[in-house]
Amino acid sequence: GACRVSMSMAEIRAGFTAIKADIQSRDPIRTLSILSHPHSLHKLKSSDRCCITHQLFTFYVDKVFKHCRTEDSFVNRKISSIANSFLSARRKLSQCHEQNNCMCGEESREKFKQILANYEGLNVTSAAMKSLGELDILLDWMEKS
Amino acid sequence: SGELYCSLPNPRNVHFESINMKNVLHWSAPEGTGDGVLYKVKYAVYGIGKWIRKPECRNINRTWCDLSSETSDYEEQYYASVKAFLNGTCSDWMETTRFNPLTDTKIDPPMVSVSSTDRSISIILTAPEKWKRSPEEESISLLQVYPGLKYNVSVLNKKTKKRWFFSISNNTLVVPWLEPGTAYCVSAQIHVTTPLLDSAFSKEHCITTLKDK
Repeated sequence: GACRVSMSMAEIRAGFTAIKADIQSRDPIRTLSILSHPHSLHKLKSSDRCCITHQLFTFYVDKVFKHCRTEDSFVNRKISSIANSFLSARRKLSQCHEQNNCMCGEESREKFKQILANYEGLNVTSAAMKSLGELDILLDWMEKS
Repeated sequence: SGELYCSLPNPRNVHFESINMKNVLHWSAPEGTGDGVLYKVKYAVYGIGKWIRKPECRNINRTWCDLSSETSDYEEQYYASVKAFLNGTCSDWMETTRFNPLTDTKIDPPMVSVSSTDRSISIILTAPEKWKRSPEEESISLLQVYPGLKYNVSVLNKKTKKRWFFSISNNTLVVPWLEPGTAYCVSAQIHVTTPLLDSAFSKEHCITTLKDK
């Protein structure tokens, strides 16, 4: 089903771009991606977009942002600003989900299971930092529609 | 491989320079090494374990290597790495930061073509194409890559020096109510809101409106 949620992608992008080099430099693991391997988000059917977006927002709010504190207050401020944007977007998507407009197909459930498996393959801090460093993968996919 | 203990200083500033997704790896020679340094290059797709050697950039003495072909899938992200050799010794592998072709490329200005009547000028803009391996390969406009792509257009009245700015989504613009027999100069820029990417402004294209009938 379809949901229309307004959120400032440009603001989130700007926030992430400002800390991208810092965050990605904290992730030394080249051989594993949380979001894009083995299956790319770009291969998902469009009917599953809404559900996987809702699941990913929940994933970032519940499992990523809270484990990404750094010793750099500038970076922390940017992270919390991005987190707030995700929080409000997730709230709107949840309302949509409750109105059965954002149903999950088999493919998105499988994809999300893979993402969680990738995440749980690392310790929490490494997994959270890697996930945050992959935010542009999520944003690129969201903007592609 | 049977490399000696690597005591050579490292290549410096290893980074991608990308224009319209023509992605070229660049670096600076190790400090204090004169001529004779050779390099080899490898790259990796982020999230996949394997480093892949680039044969065309093996034992090269230049300090760049075109990896456009290897990094053409802009739904992936990449790392690249360089190692230096001199007189039987070598440096460490020196890596780039994570390279995202979609957000880390620069975009050329659009092509601008202008025509005029006595009281208006018509402007047609063409976005650059994504880099492609060969002329025979299918062209992909950057408009397809960045759905939110817009054009900022500047129109200058050469006589009065008055300038107008327009921001348009489609690629044609007609500027009406102009003065006959007057020179106008047009320049345009590509603007992508997210990811934030702006081209430079194109060079000016000047045209004179027809004289009054």
